[in-house]
This record gives sequence, C-alpha cells and structure tokens, in this order.
Amino acid sequence: MGDFSLLWLQSAACGGDSMSLLGLENPNLIELLGNQGITLLWHPSLSPERPRQLQTIIDAILADDRHLDLLCIEGAIVNGPEGTGLADVLGGRPKRDLIGELCARAKFVLAMGTCASYGGIPAAPPNPMDVTGMQWRNKEPGGLLAPDWLSRGGLPVINVAGCPAHPLNMAQSIINLLIQGTAMVLDEWNRPQESYNTMVHQGCTRNEYHEYDMEETDFGGRGCLFFNLGCQGPKTSGSCNSSLWNNQKSKPRAGVPCFGCTSPSFPKNKDFFKTDKIGDVPVELPTGVERPNYMAYKGLAKAAAPQRLKDRTTGL
Amino acid sequence: MADNKKNLTVELNRVEGDLELKLVVEGNRIVDARAVGRMYRGFEQILIGRHARDGLVITPRVCGICSTAHLYAAVTAIETAWQCPIGPNGTRVRNLCLMAEEVQSDARHSFLMFAIDFCNRRYRHHPLYPRIEEAFQVFKGRIYAETIRHTKQLLEIVALFGGQWPHSSYMIPGGVTTVRSRKELIRVQTILDSYLRWYEDSIIGCSSERWLALRTRDDFHAWLDEKQAHRDSAAGLFLRFGREAGLAGLGRGNDRLLSYGAWFEPEEWQPPFRKRPCRRRAGFVNGINGRVEEFVEEKIKEHIEYSWFARQSGSGPPAGNRTIPEFAPNSKRYSWAKAPRYDGQVVEMGALAELVVAGDPLMSSFFREQGATVWLRELARLHRPLLTLNHMREIVRTMLGPDFEQPFYLSPKTVYSGSGRGLIQAARGGLGHWVSFADNRITGYQIISPTTWNASPRDNLDRPGHWETTLINTEIADLENPVEIEHIIRSHDACLVCCVHFLDTGRKLSFGLGPTR
Repeated sequence: MGDFSLLWLQSAACGGDSMSLLGLENPNLIELLGNQGITLLWHPSLSPERPRQLQTIIDAILADDRHLDLLCIEGAIVNGPEGTGLADVLGGRPKRDLIGELCARAKFVLAMGTCASYGGIPAAPPNPMDVTGMQWRNKEPGGLLAPDWLSRGGLPVINVAGCPAHPLNMAQSIINLLIQGTAMVLDEWNRPQESYNTMVHQGCTRNEYHEYDMEETDFGGRGCLFFNLGCQGPKTSGSCNSSLWNNQKSKPRAGVPCFGCTSPSFPKNKDFFKTDKIGDVPVELPTGVERPNYMAYKGLAKAAAPQRLKDRTTGL
Repeated sequence: MADNKKNLTVELNRVEGDLELKLVVEGNRIVDARAVGRMYRGFEQILIGRHARDGLVITPRVCGICSTAHLYAAVTAIETAWQCPIGPNGTRVRNLCLMAEEVQSDARHSFLMFAIDFCNRRYRHHPLYPRIEEAFQVFKGRIYAETIRHTKQLLEIVALFGGQWPHSSYMIPGGVTTVRSRKELIRVQTILDSYLRWYEDSIIGCSSERWLALRTRDDFHAWLDEKQAHRDSAAGLFLRFGREAGLAGLGRGNDRLLSYGAWFEPEEWQPPFRKRPCRRRAGFVNGINGRVEEFVEEKIKEHIEYSWFARQSGSGPPAGNRTIPEFAPNSKRYSWAKAPRYDGQVVEMGALAELVVAGDPLMSSFFREQGATVWLRELARLHRPLLTLNHMREIVRTMLGPDFEQPFYLSPKTVYSGSGRGLIQAARGGLGHWVSFADNRITGYQIISPTTWNASPRDNLDRPGHWETTLINTEIADLENPVEIEHIIRSHDACLVCCVHFLDTGRKLSFGLGPTR
C-alpha cells in the first residue's frame, strides 16, 4: 500500500457515481483501491467507520496533520435555502463550507459526475436549492470555487462528467493523477482529455444508419435516433460507445437516445425525446459540421443507402 | 429535562445519503427518536413544465441505487394517464430488469452494507468473530469481494436491454426501446445460471430447491442442523451470528406491513389498469395476527405537520398535493419529508413486508411467531433472491419460446392531458409516482419512496414514523458504540437520497456521538 490518500464525499448526490464505480472492470474496485498505492481515507458507502471518524480525519487534514492527495466530490453543491447551504449539511455545517475548506488542502480535486462538475439535474430550472458545480455553474465558469482557482497540485477541479460518470473514466482519472500528477491534460470543460476525446456517436452500432440517413421516427427500431428522437450522440463528447457500459452496451445501442449527460448543459431545457428541426434537418448538427455541406451530403447519402439498411436487416 | 435523560446524536453512513438520528436516552434506553436527514434537491419542482416523457430521464436520477425502479414507476404513471396498451414482452423485459436490480440490491445490502457491522469491536470476543471477519470484512472479506464481482455481472442484464446501469430511459410508454433478439436473452440466461451457482455454492451452501423447501421456522432450524455446509455458508454464518447478537429481539415496529405488489402480469396489465395483476400480490398486513387485506391506493395519504413544506402543498392523497418547500427554522417542523400513512397508520415497507403480504410460507411462519425484527428483515433479503431468480429464469424461458414474437413496444396514441400513477415494488419497498399533465406538459409530480414510509417524521396526530417507532424503547448496551441503532436502521436498507429530505433544526444539544456544534 502506498500513501496516495483519497477522500470521497457526497453532497447533493443520488449515489449513482458510486454505484457506477462498483461496476468497474479491469481493475475492479477492490483492485483499484487495494493495489494501486491508494489509501482510502473515507467513502460514505464503503467505509466501515462511523461519520465521527470522518470528522477526525477532516480535522487532521484541516490542521495539516494529514496530507490529502485526492478529494473526490460526488453531487452538486447546495447553496439553498436562501443562501444558507442548510439543505445539505454534515455535522450541522453546510457541506459547501466543509468542501471548500478541504479543497484548499487537497493536492487534486476530482468532480465525479455531472452534478459535481456543472450542477446537473438539481441545477435544472427552477434550481430549487440554488446548486452549482464545483467550479462551474452549467456553462459558466465559477461555482463553489472561482474560475481561476487551482489546487495545491496546480490543476483546476477535474470534471469527470457523466450522469453517472463512466466507471472507467473515474478510475482512469484517479490512476492518472496517481501516476502522472499535474501532467493530466484537460479539455475546454476541464474534463480529462483522454477520456472525453471521442464522440458518443463514434462506435455507435447505429452509426451506419446515420451515415446513410436512415432515421427512425419511433422507438424500437434499428435506425439512427439523431434526426427525430432527440439523440445527442454526434454532439456529445463521451466514451459510452468506445468503453461500453457494464461490459455490454450503451444507451444508443439499446435504442435509447443519448441525452448529452457529459455536457455542462445537461439536462437540456427542451424535450429529451424530440429533435428540433428546420425543415427536415436538425437545428443542431453534429459537432463541427457545416449546414450546406451536411444537407447536400444527406440527400446523396439517402439515395445511396444500401438495401440492407433500408430493410433494417442489419443486426445490432 | 430530567437529569437522567441525555440527548444523543448518531450519524450513519453506509446508508444511501446521510442520516442523523436525534435520540433522547434515559439510562441506556431510547425514550424518544427523530430521524433527521440532511439533503433536499427538489426533483418534483424541476419536473413541472417539462414534457410528459421527460420524467423518464429525470426521475431515474433521483436514486443511483433504484434507477430502474424509478424508471418503471415513471413510465407506469404516464401509461395509466395515457391509457396506452403495453407490448407484453415490454413488460417482461421491464420485469427482468427490475428483478435484476432487486437481486443485486439484496446481496449488496446484506454483504456490502449490513454485515460490516458484525465486524464491530462489540463482537470481537464472540467465538465466530474470526470467521465473520474472514467473510465480511470490508474489501478483504471473501464474501465481500465475491459480492462485488457477482452483483456487477447481474447488472449486465439491465445494460443488455437498457444500455447501462444505473440511469437509463429504455422503458417508454407502450414498452421498451429494445430490438427483439435471442442473443440478449441467451446472455441473460447464462448470467442467471452463473449467479445462481454462486448463490448456491457460497451463500446458502445447498441447492436452491433444498432452500425453497423451507416453509416453516422449524424447517429452517432443521436445515441449519442438517449439514456443516449449511452452517458454514454465508447465510448460515450470517443468520447464526445475527441470532446470537440478539437481532431477533431488535427493531420491532408495529407489525403493519404494506406492499404494492411486484411484477405486473404481461398479458393482463393493460388499459384501463383498474386491477393490479401482480405475480407477488399487493396488500396490507394489520399486525402480527392480522390477515392480508386488499391494497387500496386511495388509502395512501400524506401529512406535512412536521415537514418543511408550505401549507398549500396539501395533505391527503398524493395526487392532489404539491411539493412547495418552506424553510422555517426554530419551529416544530424537522423534516424535508412528508409523512405518508396508509389507512391512517404508520407502516413498514421492504422485502419482509413484500414477502409476508405475498403469503410466502417461510416468512409468514417467522412473522407470526416473532413479528418484524432486524433478524427477520435480513432473512428476507437472503431468501428473496431465490424466489426472484426462479421467476427470472421462467421469463427467459417463455421469451425464448412461445412468447418470442409478442411485441416489445406498441406505439402509443398520446393523450395530452390527464393524470396517472405508477406504483411498483422497488428493492426496498413500494415506490409511487403520481403525475398530472395538461397539454402534454407536467403540471404536478409527487414521489413517495419506500424510505419515506420507513423514515417518515411525525404526522398530524403526532405519531412517530416507522423508524422512530422501532428505535423508541431500544436498550443500547454501550452509548459510545451504539451498534444496535445501526442494525435497526440498516435492516431497512435506508435510502436517504430518494426523497427523505430532513433538515436539522440545530436546537438540540448533541451528546456523545457525532460532532458537537
């Protein structure tokens, strides 16, 4: 056992990121926490100790008697009601304040999941408890921490986005910090670039249907869900189709649209299961595409579509 | 306050979310209890004004442990409002996924959350303690590690149909998004076979047929005495140790048990949805000698006397109520949760309630003899997976056979206004969603989760909620190490994130455990 210390706290969370982490493969959770030189100081679901011991650990960290290498936060940061932070407390204190103090001591801070990264679902209108992410408020820089805040290790809060975060993205981020430290490269939304440099669309089994403009208008079919059913796979950075979920699939592979849950704008404020269109073409096109080119290409592609796609005989 | 009374604050982890218990003890006996949770997010408020179907994306995110159950309740609420037929294989797939979530939840509850407390220093002189540690210690225990490995695989069943677990939205009005395929079904079968083999080898130490032949308390004790393999199995060790630790005399509530019934019958669960054709029947047990009464939805009412909600949120049937938070410190209110009551009574939800209501012989036999206790709730969590796995295998068999061609999805003709309710049985007990729409937009959404029933605050007649009832009169051997309290609360597999949103008034003095303020 090494001594890369890890403390995991949940704020306004559903526990989904922790549950996602239990599904980790290669390494599994026990291997990750047991064999990688990591000392787990605390996790709310996994620690046998009582919260009283957590307080002892926190006190030691705040007194600089115990170093904290990695602080993992799961869940949104609560400012309500009425600015008190009292809708999410630990030991009688707003968790917001406690997390802020711990951030000042931590070498690195990981926001696990979209809630901790950007606010996520609790931040959706009307945002009843005035929640934010750790260092972002949806697409705006600045949350609990200021936009220019850096941890002792010299990095901003690293956003392992996703609702929930993919277990491999969480594990890889932890291992990367353990091995590389500050060498970790982040994208424009402070996500680890390595884990978010693919589109959800890439690797989707419905991709060929999209290529030839074979679009479904209802659920239960094999075709693409982008034009009509709200799928955001071509616009979303995420590993769902390159690192499959639970060893098996992704939402689009199972016929469920991608809801763009790794984006700071999740949840979108429009219908989830519907694509807004101008004429026959979606208002929002795949990331990086020019509208005139795309429209010309789509017309040609549809005409060129293989019969097996038109007939939906291709298995998934 | 009399001199011999003390206030005690106990905080609990290893429940989903955070929980604080405010207790008053006299000597070593708890004389008053308030369950204080500490988080509010406002899901019901966020849903207002969104498209009717958006609940399918938002509500699974209420809870990372029961996301499949929330999705099922949400889709059922829409279907009962829209009155749309459901493809029978859609219901079969939904049931399979809900069952997979339940079976993994049962094992994770028993071996990742509950059994850890057997490793408490309280028990270190017990002759079985070394074997308890060997099996159940966090990360290092053999059963602990096996549970992580096998429950993970079980959730592949949900991912096969829904793309991922947790948090997917594959149940849609009329069925599921899944494309018909035998490949997935065969994979499900192999996962079930593998899980059952583990359960037989490691957890019960016998065949499932042998276990399922247990119909009475005497049968169970005969089974324990029959073979060393039975005594040494995880269940044998867990239950023997639990009995010696006094769990059979701990945490008894008022023996009122409620279940909404589990798993709609695929052919019969169709419009107008007046009856609830469930494989495990719904019902209410009114006390230890009471018979099983018919479940009547209209008997569910919510109280907000002690809750942080504006009066216009409403009391009474959930369908007519709203969630309007109102922060009012320094009042008698102490909870972000409403207090649901059934037919005016405080009730218990969970695996034990579900099985007793359904008439399971083993559970009913124990319940009639000793009522609902910590030990019996734990036996229910170990017993239920065998029943559920059997149903799952049966579903896969019929889907691979005669039912293969039945529809997975029937496209609904949407109705733009109306109201509906989705009442289903989650791993921890009955889960209800009540929704109303106008012009296809959500105008009202109310959720009552199983933990809200168990952890409810006092109601408008000042009656304590279920946990509060089970804690009052409990003797704690060592106030500095109150493991009894942890056993009691964890025996309900507490899930605070779902909707138990209490807030501490901060007025009581903390003593002993928990940080002072």
